[in-house]
Amino acid sequence: MIDTIIFSDIIHGLFVLILGTAALIITQRSLSSLFNIYAVQSFILAVMAIVLFIENGTLNLLFIALLTLAVKTIFIPLFLHRVLKRMPVKRDLQFSFLSPASSIIISTILLFVVYLFFTNIAGEVFNDSLILLGGVIGISLILMGMMVIFSRKRVITKTIGYLTMENGVLLFSLFMAEMPFIIEFLIVIDLLMILVLSAVLAFGIDSSLEEFHKKLNRLGIWVED
Amino acid sequence: MEILFLGGCALLLLACALPLVSLLFKLGKASHRIALFITLAGISCITTTALICFFTGADYQQLIYALTPELTFSIHLDKLAAFFVALIGFVAFCAVIYSFNYIEHGAIEKRKHVLTALLPLFILSMIMVVAADNMFALLFFWEIMSISSFFLVMYDREKAETQKAGIFYFVMTQLSTFFLFIAFLLVYRYTGTFDIEATDALPQAVKSFAFIALFIGFGTKAGLIPFHKWLPYAHSASPSNISALMSGVMLKIAIYGLCRFTFDVLQPELWWGFVLLVFGTVSAVLGVIYALKEHDLKKLLAYHSIENIGIIVVGLGLYVIFNHYGLQTPANLSLVGALFHTLNHAIFKSLLFMTAGSVVQATGTRNIEEMGGLVKKMPVTAVLFLIGSCAISALPPLNGFASEIMIFLSYLGAFELDNPVIEIVMVIGLAAFALMSALAATCFVKAFGIVFLAKPRSKEAGKAMEAPPGMLVGPAILALTCIVLGVFSFQIIKAVGYELPVPDMLPVSILLLLITAIFVGLLKLFRVPVRIGETWGCGIQKQTPAMEYTATGFSEPIVTIFKLIYRTKKTNEKEYFDPAKSITKHTKAKIATFQFFEERVYMPLANLFMKSAAFISEKHNKDLETFILYAFITVVLLLVAAGLWL
Repeated sequence: MIDTIIFSDIIHGLFVLILGTAALIITQRSLSSLFNIYAVQSFILAVMAIVLFIENGTLNLLFIALLTLAVKTIFIPLFLHRVLKRMPVKRDLQFSFLSPASSIIISTILLFVVYLFFTNIAGEVFNDSLILLGGVIGISLILMGMMVIFSRKRVITKTIGYLTMENGVLLFSLFMAEMPFIIEFLIVIDLLMILVLSAVLAFGIDSSLEEFHKKLNRLGIWVED
Repeated sequence: MEILFLGGCALLLLACALPLVSLLFKLGKASHRIALFITLAGISCITTTALICFFTGADYQQLIYALTPELTFSIHLDKLAAFFVALIGFVAFCAVIYSFNYIEHGAIEKRKHVLTALLPLFILSMIMVVAADNMFALLFFWEIMSISSFFLVMYDREKAETQKAGIFYFVMTQLSTFFLFIAFLLVYRYTGTFDIEATDALPQAVKSFAFIALFIGFGTKAGLIPFHKWLPYAHSASPSNISALMSGVMLKIAIYGLCRFTFDVLQPELWWGFVLLVFGTVSAVLGVIYALKEHDLKKLLAYHSIENIGIIVVGLGLYVIFNHYGLQTPANLSLVGALFHTLNHAIFKSLLFMTAGSVVQATGTRNIEEMGGLVKKMPVTAVLFLIGSCAISALPPLNGFASEIMIFLSYLGAFELDNPVIEIVMVIGLAAFALMSALAATCFVKAFGIVFLAKPRSKEAGKAMEAPPGMLVGPAILALTCIVLGVFSFQIIKAVGYELPVPDMLPVSILLLLITAIFVGLLKLFRVPVRIGETWGCGIQKQTPAMEYTATGFSEPIVTIFKLIYRTKKTNEKEYFDPAKSITKHTKAKIATFQFFEERVYMPLANLFMKSAAFISEKHNKDLETFILYAFITVVLLLVAAGLWL
């Protein structure tokens, strides 16, 4: 068993690393390093799960750690890299609504808002500041993932946004609400489906959803003028 | 009484079902006649009940059906309701007689069935609105009335004009229902019951709010300016028997609602009276001013409906004001005057609409500029129309005069008040009222003169034929009633139980009759030889009907006087052959009235709604990024809200 102080120090350090990777995901333009950052983030989560497992001894956490390690740090990034090799673009330079710098500023503000919200409604329930912080960062990570989805144009980057959101859910569940393993497993399968679907979209329609939208328009679903 | 009333309702429902059945099984024209006869029988039963209630003062109450213990369809005929039911019944009776021949005029067989089916439904729903004992039943039948009349308005649904009328009518009628809904729910919220009498239990501030909602709701249906715009469109687009019912009766139902809620149930405040007075005066004056400019016969009559509703509302407003100051005589005078005018307007307006319908059917146009000379072609219709015109122009001894004089007399009660401000307001109102009466007479001189006198202005008018007997009998009953109600107004009001200082018209009419007889007799006695010849036409060889006095010409001086209100735009464009502008190629002149309420009130509001709808629909139709942005913003807002308030 690790000393409680060391344990909390490790967790805090991992939190900082996760926030750092999230900030990088928001700003990174090169696609291949984006995938690598995602892999690193997932790895940190796996490590966190293992640390929690050592502290708590819940077998569930170990399974989650292994699953995350296998799927999110190895398989998904590999798959994305292979997709990238066949894609004509290597960098995602298009942003909508928010520039990377303002995204960072907004996500900082969001972190505060979420923190205030959590201390307000759950401060009394969770006395342990570590659990509270885990929940706060989990929610913030979900929101940051959402920001990635709407501020990036490329489908492949959007996929990373979804994956980041899922990481946020995982982080939240690690600390706040213990999810049954089966649900975590199903979510991972969903992630794989997203990946496959977005790869199809990316190749089929030149890696941008906008054109897909236009095609829908041409079908007469809605005519914009 | 129970059997009579409910039997009448059942007969009306049967009459409604019959044409629909015959529509399914392709039965012939006979089914129309049978349905209309059944309608007549049903109306007679209900009217008899109402008359018994009205004259004996009996209270007839009946539960028809309870949906839930709270929501019930029950009827209650007290004196006020009985008066209105009798009014509806009487006018509807004549309108149905008129319909016997009128309905056969339509081109499409299917629609005749629908028209015959909807007519009794419309009449029944109007009767039930008035008879309704609680707000739930009232609103229910109010909606049936609105919907059935909407389909009746849409009779000629291919015409662009009818479609516009339908949209206007539907939107405005829903608006009125909406405001009634607000008022009724407000009452329910505070009292926990849908009883009409319960309205009185509201707190004072809420009462005023309820009054405003009720006023807008009923005012829209009554066609008070500025909620009037549907009225000229709907009345001119619908078949004439329906216009007669809508103008004659349906508007009165709104008056009934106003009376029931504001005077019978609530204790009116002083400012309510002024609201009624101001809106009534504005409607009366503007209604007649717009009517003067109108050359569509049915629209002209529709604007006169607005004017007359204005008169009635003025009467109600005066009642509130005098009642507040405790002046019983002018208060009663104005209230009885308003209710009497309601009856009179129902009678002469439906008479006018029916005769106008005969004229329109005979000439195939509603434009009075294309009529003329009809007094020789349709003499009976002309006489009936003339009686209606005299009544609406408030000429003694007809009924229009009898009721307007009551409101005039009650106006004079203002001098007994010791508040100079109110006195001034009243005097201004009185002046406007007098102006309105004069203009109404002018307008009907124009209407009668241009439609019936001189020579036919178009081929169709030249070929016009007298209307079939059914279309004469219905209006004839109404015309006779106009005379009776006018001549015996004093006696009738006394018989109903009001001692009011109104002039007795009987000696006046006898005197008038005598003078006329003497005058005609003298003329016959000292007959001056008459030479019949061509009118001098300034040397022009042959005169054509195009040289006759036109409606536009007749109303021109008044249009010039009220330029400020009409805002007439006259445009005169010329093109020339040569640069020196001496030889004209062609000229284009146009006189257009600025439709103040439509262009400045209705359309901007409608555009506002359209724009906001377009704004929202544009926001609906976005790409994925925006949708996720919406979700993101929502989540963040929820977080902030939860942080602040949880």
